[in-house]
Formats: sequence, C-alpha cells, structure tokens
Amino acid sequence: MAISLENVSYSYNVNDAYRVDALKNLSLHIEEGTFVALVGHNGSGKSTLAKLLNGLLLPTCGDVKIFGNSTLDVDKIYEIRKSVGMVFQNPDNQMIASIVEDDVAFGPENLGIERSEIERRVEWALSKVGMLEHRKSTPFKMSGGQKQRLAIAGVLAILPKILVLDESTAMLDPKGRSEVLKVAHELNKQEGITVVHITHFMEEALNADRLIVLDAGRIAFDDTPAEVFKHYDELKAIKLAVPWETQLAISLKKVGIDVGDVVVKDEELIDRLCQLL
Amino acid sequence: MRDISFGQYYPVNSFIHNLDARVKILVTLLFMVSVFFIVSYTAFAFMFLLLTLTIAVSRVPFRIVAKTIEGILFLLIFTALINIFFTSSGNVLVPIRMGGNVVLNITDQGINFAIKMAFRFTLLVLGSSLLTLTTTPTELTDALEFLLKPLKLIRIPVHDLAIIMSIALRFIPGLVEETDKIMMAQKARGASLDSGNLFKKIKAMLPVLIPLFVSAFRRADELADALDARCYNASSTRTKLKVFKIKPMDIFVFVGFAVVLTAILLDKYFVGKYVPSPDLGGFEVQGLDVLIYNFIRSVVEHGKV
Repeated sequence: MAISLENVSYSYNVNDAYRVDALKNLSLHIEEGTFVALVGHNGSGKSTLAKLLNGLLLPTCGDVKIFGNSTLDVDKIYEIRKSVGMVFQNPDNQMIASIVEDDVAFGPENLGIERSEIERRVEWALSKVGMLEHRKSTPFKMSGGQKQRLAIAGVLAILPKILVLDESTAMLDPKGRSEVLKVAHELNKQEGITVVHITHFMEEALNADRLIVLDAGRIAFDDTPAEVFKHYDELKAIKLAVPWETQLAISLKKVGIDVGDVVVKDEELIDRLCQLL
Repeated sequence: MRDISFGQYYPVNSFIHNLDARVKILVTLLFMVSVFFIVSYTAFAFMFLLLTLTIAVSRVPFRIVAKTIEGILFLLIFTALINIFFTSSGNVLVPIRMGGNVVLNITDQGINFAIKMAFRFTLLVLGSSLLTLTTTPTELTDALEFLLKPLKLIRIPVHDLAIIMSIALRFIPGLVEETDKIMMAQKARGASLDSGNLFKKIKAMLPVLIPLFVSAFRRADELADALDARCYNASSTRTKLKVFKIKPMDIFVFVGFAVVLTAILLDKYFVGKYVPSPDLGGFEVQGLDVLIYNFIRSVVEHGKV
C-alpha cells in the first residue's frame, strides 16, 4: 500500500479558542500506481491532507504511513519525503534558483547524489515534463503552466514514487491546467508513479482511476469518477459541480432522452447523441 | 524602485564573463585594496586605462557601467568639497576670509587629496559593478560559498547563508513586481503616493509596505514548505551540479593582477620615495603602512626580508 491513513485527525490551534478541526477521523488507503483525484471545496481539509502525506504536518491523532513508514517516525522523515514529491499551488514560491537546471538539481543536491547522476536526473526530469530546451534559461518570463511543469521536474529529480499535486492547477489558465494534467497522467502511465491530484475543478477528475470527495474533514464519496458523479444532487449540496457533460446527460434523461448511463467524457456523449439522432 | 537593472548581470558572452567567478571575486578584492595604495597620478592613469580595457573586453557598454557612478555622484562631490575645504596642511592657495579673519584655507594638498579621493571612489564603484555586471547571481553565490568554506571550521553555516543569498536574489524581481501591483491597487482606491513633502510621502508608503510585508511572509512560509518537500538538509554531504574548474586563463588573470598590485606597492613605497608619516591626511592605517614600507624597502634594497 503506497499511502495509508488510519483514523487520522488534524486540528489547527489545538489548545486555544481558535481551534479548527480540519480532518476528522479519516481513514484512507491508496494503492501503488493509481491516479487519485481529491476534490473538495475551500476548507474541506484537502490541503491539510496533502501536507500530512510528507510529514510537513503531523497528525493530531492517528497515523499516516507511506510504504509502511510512519510520518511520526523522525528517522524516516527524509525517506518519506524522498518517496512523496509534492508540488504546491503557486509556482513562483517553490523555485529556489534563478536558472532552470539549477532549480531542478536542488533536490538531488540535498540528497548528496553524485554529480554525473544529478546531471542524468535533471535531463530526464526536464524531458519528462517537456522542458528540456529551457534548461539554461530563467523561469521569470515563463507561463504559469511552464513554471508548474518545472516545479514537477524539480520533485521528479528526487525520483518519488508518489506525486502529490496540492492544488497545482488552481492558479493556471485552462491551457496551463491541461498541460500540467497531461504531464501527471503520463507520469502515472509511463513511470507507474502514484498520483494524488488535489483540486477543486471536478472536470479534472474525469480521467482519474479514483475520485475522493472531501467535505468538512470527512470523506463524502470515494469511488470511480463515474460512480461518484451519479450522486449529482448530494454533490451539489456540498457546493461541488459535476462536469457539464454529466449534467447534460442527467438533464436529458429527465426529459426522456436516455443517453445511457451517466456519461463522463465529452466524446462519449457526442457518440451517444449521434446514435440517437 | 523600477530601475532594478542597476549593477545587475548584463548577459553577453565575453572573456570576462567566462572567467571563474572565484577568480573574479578575488581579483576585485585585490583591486579594491590596491586602489587604496595608489598615490601617483601615473598610477591612477594606469589603473583607469586598465579598467577601461577590462570594460572593453567585457563587452558591457560603457554607458551601462558609467550609470553605476550616478548613484554615488552626490557622495563623490560632497567628499571632494570636504577635502578641499578642510585640509589645512600644504601651501595655501586661496584663503577664505570671514569678517577679516581667515577661517578656511584652500591648499594645494587639499586639492590633490580631493582629486585622488574622487578617483579612488570612481575606481572602486566601477570595478565592483563590473563584477556584478559580468557574473550571474548563481555564480556569485556559489563562488562566495566556496571562498567562505574555511568559516565552516568555526561553525558558521556557510551553505545556509549561500542559500539565503540566492533565494533573496531570486525573489527581488517578484517583490518589485508585487510592489508595483500594490501601488497600483492603492492608487486605484485614491491613494496619492507621490505628492506632498518627504514626510507625507513616507507616510503614504505605509499602505504599500504593510501588504508587501504580509505577502512576503506568506511567500516565505510557502517557500519553506517547498524546501522541506525537496529534502532540504536531508544529507550533511551535499553535492553540487556545477563544479568549478580553474582554466589557464583564470590563473593568467590572477597572476597578472598580482603583478599590477606589486607595481602599485612599489610605486608608492619605492619609486615615490615615500616615507610614512603621521600627518599625511590620515586615511592610511598607520601601523600597516609602516610595516609594508619596511618590508618593501628591505626586500628591494637588501634583497632579504
């Protein structure tokens, strides 16, 4: 099991009047190689969950285990951070160096890896995110999507087994979002990296293997996207909108046009509509 | 605020740009030291010529290098005036009278002194800005980290300091951009940021500075998480992607400059028949001055230390 959370709770400001219970007795298991989308509106606890995964936060109660190592174990913390690569929301605030390749090299340098190996990793990581031709340039003038792909390269160079994207698409334009998602799916398919993609855009969950919906620190739904989307009205109640393809399919069904089961992909919807016409 | 290009890296490919950053820092330091040992106008002329040649070789336009002088122009003129009016030794050229009494004298030594001091300042600023114009911030921090390595022995966290410096350099453009945004936002709400006297202007900057600080702290917080997530401090034996390699050219430049420094020292203590004395304006470190004087005399005249 790549990630396993047992009865995990996390509260901010535990000992004072401003106590916020961000996660409440949450249990979750994620198998290696899966692409998991984690969705929830603001304040649902999804970013807290992300920070628990590599020990940036430690659970108030319960235990977080990454490949069997508990984040509470101080000696294992770097091993955990080596296997969980985390990309944050704002690409500008996670770059250390002013030159692309220096920035990607930062992780392996910290681990004390040999120079020739660092060079190999930098090249590999940059080619994986399609940024190899920019290795000598500076990130200042780049687009949000490019910067975020660079941030992914930065964590890839550590050779993580799990990639956590903590709202990494939230600040990007649609083009940047699809670039980053494409890279994440490729890494999942080609390198077998487990991906935990945290977002508040429901449509980004369409191609995930598994969709987990968080609400107020608890898991509301946990199933394949198609199954979760069936709970259209309940999702609406916790302020989450189902992708428009699915909405359309459900609305059509209500007026008597059956396009089959809940549709999740636009090509699929077009195909079925064409068959009906 | 907007002109952040002041003294910042000028990206062209040149002999000077390609020199090892450590050599450039050391030579710049030697240059700064040597500037304080220049006494004769011949030596000044030689130094200016050398600097001009170096700038020409660096392919950084003279206009850009000269721009760095602008910032210290006021200081330059101010110290020159002070030197002219307040040096009392030497032959009196123009006595300044006030109510029949001589209050100040302009002396030949004062003028000499003022000119030489202005030359020194100019050389210092041009020389050091040439370093930052031809060296990327990354190279600079890496080189400083290397040169400061001995401090690790007394437990100064040299690597952490280098990281702090490179992060600071990396975030300057971002912070400038952010300041612009906040200023525009406050102007859009009717704040007048550039009217009134100095005190009013300073007070008007508060609504810009407070959000800027808050956002800088937030950035720092996120950056700290990002550093941790990328295993910062995971290993005490940190490695480097880029390693310095000394090229023959670097050695040539370093030795070349050492020769220049020797020539300047000889010019001051030997050719100029200079004798250290306590009443020569007092900017020299007296003890050191005598020490170097004796050393050079004994080496040159007796062939032994």
